[in-house]
Amino acid sequence: MSEIGVNPNQKGFLIDAGRCIDCRACLVACSVQNEVSNTTTRIWIKETGVVGEFPNLERYSAPYHCMHCDDPSCVSACTVGALQKDENGIVTYDADRCIGCRYCMYACPFQVPNYEWDQMLPLIVKCDMCVDRLAEGESEPACAATCPTDAIMFGPKVDMLAMAHQRIEDNPDKYVDHVYGEEENGGTATFYVSPVPFEELGFPTTESTLSPAYSNRLITHGTPAVAGAVAIGLSGVYLTIKHHEEAMAELRNDALAVETDQPEAEEPAAETQESDNDQ
Amino acid sequence: MINKIIKEVKSFSIGYYILAAIAIFGLSVAAYRLYAGLGVTTNLSKAFPWGVWISFDLSTVAFSGGAFTLAALVYVFHLHELHPAVRPTVLAGLIGYSSVLVILFMDLGRWDRAYHFLIYPNINSALFEVSWCIALYSTILLYELSPVLLENTRWKGVIPIIKKWTIPLVIAGVTLSTLHQSSLGTLFVVMSPRVNPLWYSMLLPIFFLITSLAAGLAMVISGAIISYWVFGRTLPENIIAELAWFIPWTLGVYLVLKLGELLITDELHLLFNSGIYSVLFLAELVVGAVIPMILLSFKRVRHSRVGVLTASLLVLAGVVLNRFDVSWFAIKPVNGQIYTPSWMEVAILVGVLATAVLAYSLVAHYFPVFEETAEVIEEKKARKRRMGRILHPRAAAGD
Repeated sequence: MSEIGVNPNQKGFLIDAGRCIDCRACLVACSVQNEVSNTTTRIWIKETGVVGEFPNLERYSAPYHCMHCDDPSCVSACTVGALQKDENGIVTYDADRCIGCRYCMYACPFQVPNYEWDQMLPLIVKCDMCVDRLAEGESEPACAATCPTDAIMFGPKVDMLAMAHQRIEDNPDKYVDHVYGEEENGGTATFYVSPVPFEELGFPTTESTLSPAYSNRLITHGTPAVAGAVAIGLSGVYLTIKHHEEAMAELRNDALAVETDQPEAEEPAAETQESDNDQ
Repeated sequence: MINKIIKEVKSFSIGYYILAAIAIFGLSVAAYRLYAGLGVTTNLSKAFPWGVWISFDLSTVAFSGGAFTLAALVYVFHLHELHPAVRPTVLAGLIGYSSVLVILFMDLGRWDRAYHFLIYPNINSALFEVSWCIALYSTILLYELSPVLLENTRWKGVIPIIKKWTIPLVIAGVTLSTLHQSSLGTLFVVMSPRVNPLWYSMLLPIFFLITSLAAGLAMVISGAIISYWVFGRTLPENIIAELAWFIPWTLGVYLVLKLGELLITDELHLLFNSGIYSVLFLAELVVGAVIPMILLSFKRVRHSRVGVLTASLLVLAGVVLNRFDVSWFAIKPVNGQIYTPSWMEVAILVGVLATAVLAYSLVAHYFPVFEETAEVIEEKKARKRRMGRILHPRAAAGD
């Protein structure tokens, strides 16, 4: 359910693991911009560790934050609708609504939402593309603006995706032929290119190209119909059986009335007569 | 008045005091959890944001399914002979749901905003649906129980008015139960990347609903048999046998759907090559479904107190294992991280359970909960009378 081309205002990231030097300036910039502590950051580094054989050692890393899915599982899951997808494709978080149930953390296939575990009244911590900063007229989120090697780029989503494919096409020897985020979880607004397979960077591999949010909606949207059917069905069963029982009771009463009517129709002396007959 | 209360409390057996001590300890830990936050009190983490509390909630809601199953059988399907079981079951259901609400409150990071689910709806969220249904259904259970609580008070005048609305409210209650019992399964549909494929299915809501019916019936039966020993009251043997008759059918439908789903999605091989997960899955199905199904298809077992209790406890064990599997054991670890609960998580659970048992015993002691059930001493006489009615129906009708 890719919405590319539908809305030209949709924003996106292009992140290049071949350019990241693990300086972590993006983490600091994010913490300062959004006033969050470094322990519960909205952005962190995925890395391969040191690989290869001496002297040809290599190490790759990439910043990792909310992918801003086209059909986000977290938005479907959120009990109180604190997570929403806005018209620019940003998955926003309303801290004033959140009840801290942590369903979004389980629903997210990328394990993105973080939690303020050490707080008495904790909230979810999650990238919102610096939505307030963009609203103030800045052109980029803090991480992209800070990145010294342009490993994080930001712009219209269509351009970012085109650029990702262009980079792979231009340097087929350098990059693996996979734009991570294009198909994952039904499509996202964050596109990664990397010189090493994404599993080695520690990225979750999602086989499904359809967001589980879709399956979820199939079921939850059926709820009113199910509720109506169950309520009507039960009422029907109740009334049918009740009607049947009443009809049976009436029949019994009629039968009883016939039995008692007969002796009454005769002379009062019939009662003794009947008991005589019984004997 | 105070002296009277003291005297009353002194007359309680030692069991009450032990339960009360456990409850007070558990609830103190609960208070500390609300003050200190989730980080220091629980082992929950980013990889496992939900833990044993959610597994407990799922199991308890399934067990409390007895209340709606029985209400449907008695009021909707007019099986009036089951009526004596209604009061104890509704009480158990209400206390079950109340303990779930307490534990859910513990689980909410922002417990100060617990009411937000009422005012900020997200109709796509299974958890939103579950919260609403549980809140509404608990209210209905309280309504269904209110005649029992009011019967010996000066407000008993309102009971006829309450009873007038029983049928529509029972139908609403059964509908709400159908919704939230199944929605608890829906919860895990959006989590599909994390749930082991043996358990993940689009049919999870239906699996949860059917197993809640089986668990509900098993709960009514074991409750009746346990209260035979604890409270000296029980249900007539033929009623227990009648309830037990439904269980093999319910479990049969479940087994067919469950294995059929694996067959259709071509996942049947996972049954035997998933290591510990295969063991858990087969244990669930064999111990919790196949064995009780076979046991209860014998008339002799259905009429034996020990036999029917054994089968019911197996069903309940299977359902608990199922709920723990889906919400905990069969959740895929992230970066090798696994979850085991902290002692405080367990202490809070045990405390809430002790409170629940205490509340049930006290209400059953002071209110006419078992009024319509048969007293154990009279059981034999009653059985003789019933036998007489079956053998000489004419004579019995003439009484």
